Amino acid sequence: MSRARLLVLPLALGARAAFAAPLPEKGFGLPRDASADGHLVDWLIHYTLIASAVIFVVVLAAMVWSFARHGRSHQAEYTHGSRASAGFLLGAIGFIAVTVDGNLFYRTLVDMNEVFWNFTALEKDPAAVRIEVNAHQWAWLARYPGPDGKFGTEDDVVTLNDIRVPVGVPVVIQLASTDVIHSLYLPNFRVKRDAVPGMVNWITFRARETGEYEIGCAQHCGPNHYKMRGVLTVLSPEGYREWIETMARDARRAHDPDDREAHWAWDWRSY
Amino acid sequence: MGAVSSTAASPSPDGSLPRGRVIPLRRPGEAATAWLGMVVFLGSWAMMFAGLFFSYGLVRLRSPAWPPLDQPSLPLLLPGVNVAVVLLSEGALVLALRWLRGGKPRPAAAALAGATLLGATFLALQSVVWVSLWDAGLRPDGGPYPSVFYALTVFHALHVAVGLVALAWLAGRALASGLGPPGRQALRLWGMYWHFVGAVWVAMYLAVYVV
Amino acid sequence: MATPAQVLEQVETQPIHPPPTSFWRKHVFSTDHKVIARQFLWAGLLFLLVGGTLAMLIRWQWGFPYRKVPILGDVFLGANGGLIGPATYQKIFTMHGLIMIFFAVTPVLIGTFGNFLIPLMIGARDMAFPKLNMYSFWTFALSQALVVASFLVDLGTAGAGWTSYPPLATNVGTPGAGQTLVVAALFVTGVSSTMGAINYVTTVIRLRAPGMTWMRLPLTIWGLWLTAILNALFVPVLGSAALLLLLDRSFGTQFFVAGAAAVRGGGDPILYQHLFWIFGHPEVYIMILPAWGILGDVLAFFARKPHHWYRGSVWAMVAVTVLSAMVYGHHMFMTGMSPLLGEAFMLFTLTISVPSMVVVLNWLFTIWKGSIRFTTPMLFALGTMFVFGVGGLTGLFLGDISMDLYLHDTMFVVGHFHFTMAAASFMGAMTGLYFWFPKMYGRALDERLGKVHFWFSIVGFTVVFGGQLIVGWAGQQRRLFDPFQYTFIQGLRGLNQWTSLFAFALFAGQFAFVWNFFKTVFGKAEPAGQNPWEVTTLEWTDATSPPAFHNFDVIPVVLRGPHELGNPEGKRLLGRDWIGQAEKVPALRETPAAAAKA
Repeated sequence: MSRARLLVLPLALGARAAFAAPLPEKGFGLPRDASADGHLVDWLIHYTLIASAVIFVVVLAAMVWSFARHGRSHQAEYTHGSRASAGFLLGAIGFIAVTVDGNLFYRTLVDMNEVFWNFTALEKDPAAVRIEVNAHQWAWLARYPGPDGKFGTEDDVVTLNDIRVPVGVPVVIQLASTDVIHSLYLPNFRVKRDAVPGMVNWITFRARETGEYEIGCAQHCGPNHYKMRGVLTVLSPEGYREWIETMARDARRAHDPDDREAHWAWDWRSY
Repeated sequence: MGAVSSTAASPSPDGSLPRGRVIPLRRPGEAATAWLGMVVFLGSWAMMFAGLFFSYGLVRLRSPAWPPLDQPSLPLLLPGVNVAVVLLSEGALVLALRWLRGGKPRPAAAALAGATLLGATFLALQSVVWVSLWDAGLRPDGGPYPSVFYALTVFHALHVAVGLVALAWLAGRALASGLGPPGRQALRLWGMYWHFVGAVWVAMYLAVYVV
Repeated sequence: MATPAQVLEQVETQPIHPPPTSFWRKHVFSTDHKVIARQFLWAGLLFLLVGGTLAMLIRWQWGFPYRKVPILGDVFLGANGGLIGPATYQKIFTMHGLIMIFFAVTPVLIGTFGNFLIPLMIGARDMAFPKLNMYSFWTFALSQALVVASFLVDLGTAGAGWTSYPPLATNVGTPGAGQTLVVAALFVTGVSSTMGAINYVTTVIRLRAPGMTWMRLPLTIWGLWLTAILNALFVPVLGSAALLLLLDRSFGTQFFVAGAAAVRGGGDPILYQHLFWIFGHPEVYIMILPAWGILGDVLAFFARKPHHWYRGSVWAMVAVTVLSAMVYGHHMFMTGMSPLLGEAFMLFTLTISVPSMVVVLNWLFTIWKGSIRFTTPMLFALGTMFVFGVGGLTGLFLGDISMDLYLHDTMFVVGHFHFTMAAASFMGAMTGLYFWFPKMYGRALDERLGKVHFWFSIVGFTVVFGGQLIVGWAGQQRRLFDPFQYTFIQGLRGLNQWTSLFAFALFAGQFAFVWNFFKTVFGKAEPAGQNPWEVTTLEWTDATSPPAFHNFDVIPVVLRGPHELGNPEGKRLLGRDWIGQAEKVPALRETPAAAAKA
């Protein structure tokens, strides 16, 4: 009886991993946003959508009006264009350039420097969760440093297609690849980054709610590119701690110094 | 393309064009057109070499050591001599063109032959460099360093070889029967090509061997 | 009427050569730009069919996954029971992209129109280098042969995407002769494009008729000339990338090899991306500039009024040409580049939207208050405006790094470039074909069939590529054999299926054009007059339909710009609403503005 109970916890954890089920999306909108910062991307996308739609509708309406009113029976106005009409044209474009292009540029600069590419700030954050992800054809290997905080040691937790993070805490991933270019894609967190062999890239996100979300590959990497799917599980802080401690214990027990292939870690790079 | 000498001409609307008129061999402006075409052609090739030099730069920047510690370093002497060879060859070509224009066909032919021989010398010396490096263990599949070296120098040498064939053919014509206007036009154009190939060599020597 | 002395002078500077007589010189190894143009047209249309079929296979896989492909399944996929498998799928989308870009749109838009129109529209008898022109076609044909060969080798054709990114495109990632042959084909077609570019650039500079100043050139010629400059400068960079990739595949060099296969530190896969996109971004402008030029002229012609602010459009096209190489990094935002570099590329990318907007708004202002004739070429031109508008606007999303974080490598990118490249370039090419067909073949295409073709195309393109934008917005990635492996994409099955059905209809609708083309070229048809559209440029006013071997009996002397339509003075003096570019109208007082343009 007690032996069966001993098996329940790892079985349950394993079962959760095996049958982890992200919820399907409804409709054709952006996928649910489970991140703390994805709203910045969403704001820009919706702003650009509205601006584009307005421009498109105005120009299209002018075209349709012209089809209706300036057909064969209308007498063509002989003009090569005047200073006024060219000025009006440039003025309209200038207005668009400032309100759309300019806005996009400014907001993006802020977003990238403060959040999405702000790795120097994360370097100094002791609470940030650090993960090394090694992409290969056709799966995602993730490595956690374990309680000793160092990569490449006995207590490293290595998972396959299974990344788990605590909610509300910044996660920094160093991303590499063993063979061809892959791209780590988290649709529910609005981020992706290429995994390039010979390089270590950085990616960061912060989860806002618990749940299971999908990891996809966003760079053609061979015939099974479509199957390179993983699951990102966001746990409560306690759930995460429990998980990582259990896994680290198992890792120490299962450590095999002769298994060279398993020791793919690199020293955590500084930004 | 040379114009055809023809005695036929299109009749004018009122039929009053005299028949039997001979049309001269070269149309005015044709030389300038050919020159422009050559300029665009060389511009394209320059961009191709630019791509190769860009690659060299990026590969070298990424390497911790250049040359890598266990690979032979590149010689400076023979390739340097080749710079002189190239410049002399170009000079001979310039002289040949000047003498042709000045009505001295025999010295021009000799200069042209000299330019050709110097071009062949370039290839010979470059081959010596390749053989010595190959024997010292530098192979194209030995990493990014030899990849860049062989790709750049072989590609350049192929261009020299093409120009050499053209120069040799023109030199042969010049020595045998002299170069008429179409031959001179061809020499002018191949001369531009030869200068281009020489300039690429100087750049390559400085960027790949010296620096 | 030219005086005998003038004729003599012309005959000396631009002699009329007798046309060739042997079959081979007339139809196969011709140096006549008009024949070469038709050769490019046939070659391009043939491969358009191949590329389109490959697209249908992709849509079948997404609309009806894991089901036997009807008809084609038995013929081409027999070894797999008529099913598309993952390895075959990657070959299909790779070759679809490659064939469409290099072997369909390029030969039709640039090979056909460039060759046919440049000498005729500038008033020359032929290109500057007719023999080089012939070689450029046969080099192109060789590259097509290499593509065909790649399908026939053991491991099949290339499968690393049309972009051929290493390390996947190295012989470790994609072994076999097929990928090598395709990279070689890319190099060879690059050589062909460069040869053509030398001809186009030189011809427009040197062989313009007297009076044909730069600011009197038809916009079609501006588009083709700027395209040729981009071709001359940037196709060789693709050549260098292809060369280095070939060296990596065949000689063991380490330019791009990284990861497990690297030797002594290995190469840099990102180096390839730099080289590729320094070519690749100008390439997309190469594919659209001729269409922009054609639209500029055709819209003015069928609105029966001059192009609005001609100079503005010229300068805008020049600006786009200059900026085109400076924006290439926006294809690489996700590769881990330095933030400063990324922001610079974003800035340039947003900047290049400004001249594009000038070109589009100038079209709108051209048709505004015109007297629009809704002929088939005009319908296609207006349709091109529409699809380019959508395509251009979706580019805004992608040029911005924040949004690109989410949208990169999704179907949104695919929708964007299909609207701009597939729809706009294709419809621009169709505009040109329907418009210049009477001049090329001396007969008119059937207007009714043309309109059927138009409606199938515009509705088809909008729905199919709109469908791509929507699924990309919802996050579906590109190049997935089975997108529905992902839970978050499973809700998009229905949309993908509908998109596929519309794609099949789009493909079917193209046969209206094929039927129209074949029956007009080979069957009985009414001869078209010299200037059936009643427009102003030299090929219509001074050359027959089709033109004689030597194009013009007398080289015209150009007196005004290309869009003198709707001029009331002209109506009074000539009784019609257009004045030819080389037409002598002694009593006409050119407006100060028009005179100043000269």
